[in-house]
Amino acid sequence: MSRSAVAIIIRAEIRAWRNRIARGNAARIVGIALVVLFGGIVFGGSLFGIAFAAGGALPSARDAILAGAFTALSVLMLVVGFPTVIASYFAGRDLMQLILAPVRTSEIFIARSLFAMSANILFGTLFLTFIAGLGAGSGASPLYYLLALVLVVVQVLLISALQVNFMAAVLRWVPARLARDVALAVASVTGAGLYLLWNLTIRESFTAIRRRPDFSNLVSTLQRLDWLPSAWPGHALSAVINGDAASALGWTALTLVLAAALLLSAGLLYERTLLAGLGLLGGVPSRVRNRGATQVRVARAGSASPGFAIARKDWIVYRRDIRRLSRFLPALIFLFAYAFVLVRPSNGVDVFWSGVFIVAFVSFFMSMLLATTSIPSERRGFQLLRLAPITSWQLIRTKVLFTVVPVLALTIAITVASSLISGNAPGRAAQVAALAVWLGLGCVCIGVAAGAIDPHFESADDRRMVGMVGTLAAMGAELGFGLLSVGAFAILQLAQQLAAGSGGFGFLPATPLMAALVSVVAVLLAAGGAAVVALMLWTANSRLESFEGSITAA
Amino acid sequence: MSIASGSIAVEARGLVKRYGMTQAVDGVTFQVPRGEIFGFLGANGAGKTTTLRMLCGLIRPTAGTALIDGFDIFKQPLEAKARLGYLDEEPFIHPHLTGREFLNFIADLYRMPRGPERQQRMERLLGLFELADRGELIGAYSHGMKQKIGLASLLIREPSVLLLDEPTNGLDPRSARLVKDLLEELAARGTTVLLSTHILEVAQALCRRITIIDRGRLVATGTVDELRAQTGSAQATLEDLFLRLTAGPESRELIDRLLETQR
Repeated sequence: MSRSAVAIIIRAEIRAWRNRIARGNAARIVGIALVVLFGGIVFGGSLFGIAFAAGGALPSARDAILAGAFTALSVLMLVVGFPTVIASYFAGRDLMQLILAPVRTSEIFIARSLFAMSANILFGTLFLTFIAGLGAGSGASPLYYLLALVLVVVQVLLISALQVNFMAAVLRWVPARLARDVALAVASVTGAGLYLLWNLTIRESFTAIRRRPDFSNLVSTLQRLDWLPSAWPGHALSAVINGDAASALGWTALTLVLAAALLLSAGLLYERTLLAGLGLLGGVPSRVRNRGATQVRVARAGSASPGFAIARKDWIVYRRDIRRLSRFLPALIFLFAYAFVLVRPSNGVDVFWSGVFIVAFVSFFMSMLLATTSIPSERRGFQLLRLAPITSWQLIRTKVLFTVVPVLALTIAITVASSLISGNAPGRAAQVAALAVWLGLGCVCIGVAAGAIDPHFESADDRRMVGMVGTLAAMGAELGFGLLSVGAFAILQLAQQLAAGSGGFGFLPATPLMAALVSVVAVLLAAGGAAVVALMLWTANSRLESFEGSITAA
Repeated sequence: MSIASGSIAVEARGLVKRYGMTQAVDGVTFQVPRGEIFGFLGANGAGKTTTLRMLCGLIRPTAGTALIDGFDIFKQPLEAKARLGYLDEEPFIHPHLTGREFLNFIADLYRMPRGPERQQRMERLLGLFELADRGELIGAYSHGMKQKIGLASLLIREPSVLLLDEPTNGLDPRSARLVKDLLEELAARGTTVLLSTHILEVAQALCRRITIIDRGRLVATGTVDELRAQTGSAQATLEDLFLRLTAGPESRELIDRLLETQR
């Protein structure tokens, strides 16, 4: 019975997965497969190449690199793979059926493991290319590769077990309907902090572009992380390269014992928390501390505006949707940290151009964060908007206006702050602010349009609300719009210099006529940028008008 | 039965919907005069919801036209939608809004002037459906309460045409009775109701005329007496007529076959 129950569940999951693929759009599936394959080859190849070079060039740092790489893999799996683990073990609607069936909890735990760990397995597979590259660069024996495979599998199991343990702990203290969001928020903030720490450390190694990179700081940081259990498999592999069998055996044994202990406790805790975890399916707080929730307030007389109605509703929903907030806050940490890093004058980059870069970065980042999900986040409520006497163009316009306000506010605030910190002249700061408005508006339009082009209204996860086509369209259009806009801006700067009788690169005469000609080029580039935005909006409008799918509750 | 064109509130003209090789709806044509409650019956998967969704503009028909108060739902969508209220079998709601906030949102969306009159109407509806004291978000409502807030969101703006897909689904007996009384009252005041339901007693009690759809095609349209005449069974109940018109193996025969396999 035991083996067959596990096999039956796994077979059903594989069949469901196969059906989803078989009944999907064939062109789309082939497209995604090609992107994944190509991306995998490029990314895996890059990892292999970097590791191969590091293995040969930095023999003394091999242990630190391997330990650091395993820690990085662990953090990545811990944060990015967490939603998959939660969905498979705790929040899947099909779990209800398994609980009602005469199946033991331990069997459910084992059967769901394959899909729960799918994201972690993917990261582990890519990571193997790095480990293989380092081994090849260091001239490692075949034992190294065999042990690497075992240790990566063990690390995937270990991290997945840790996630189940963590979720069980959260469920013990936090109401089930909030547990998923709290757990994800904690994981995201932790991941964001660790990533930033790592990134700033890396940055210190490359502070001057023209000088040879100095890795001593990086290596010493990695050595400080030596004690972490996530680094143990790295030590084991390093010992194999160095021919230290006893040490390799010791670190491997420690890793295996830790993984076994975590898996055992995960299995035991899962039995206790599975039923509590089913409350995760709720997702909406039952009550609101809203003074107007039950009170009767006499509304002021006046005309009603559908646009304001949608904006007001979005504002209320955004504040109450803990899941979205829990993803927004870590992203905001990233934004401010990067803006701070970029503001610091370094590498001899002009403060003015540093400001331009910040503006472009913040506009892109914020629009991807807020604008792309603005239409898909309507979920089933989108049908209400389709039934209402408003056009899809009115809807897009409302969403753009609602999203552009915070994006512009934040972009201009960061622009002003960076100008004050870096000592940019007021006139030049005003030019950067004008660029901020242009880029902010354009990027928000593109983001909203991309969400409308490929919306996944049924997705409960913000990160999956926009499909592959929409995401690629957003990135491509924002890149095109950004390059054209910043290009136009740069050429306008040149025109200013030419008009003032300076600049000219030697081959352009610094005359008013040449300044006027160069300005025309800048205007043409800006018009090209505007055309990219217009094309996206037009496509989005057409897509929304032709939308006719039924949207089931997430 | 001929109806003067000016008095027609809902008209389906040769509606067709194909999904690849599957013909979901095949040439559906009917007219509903103003102020009538019109029953739309059919087995699961017969094409009821697809037809209703074509009529309200959620699905574009492969062929044919849907008119609401004379306005083509796809060529004059704003005019048609302003006159139309559609309730899905699983109502479209915003789970993160309270009932009161949701009704305000809908009223604004349909440009109902703000002010005490609108407020009073909203409170009356919330009171009628026993939702006035509910402070929780709609996402935490039971299925029946969601159905009630969905109905309230239609009634707050007094549309002239209501398309209702299983409106009494999940309602307790008292609320179901309330909905039935309300529909009769609305029809008496001139609101047109197209009612899709599986509950044949509800259809027989409320609807003046009934149409039955089977595998995407209308198989009969008329009053219950007219359907009896069509099938030549003077004493038949609506259930008998429905089963006869959507002919499959008789249920007794199916039960016998099932028991046979279990022996």
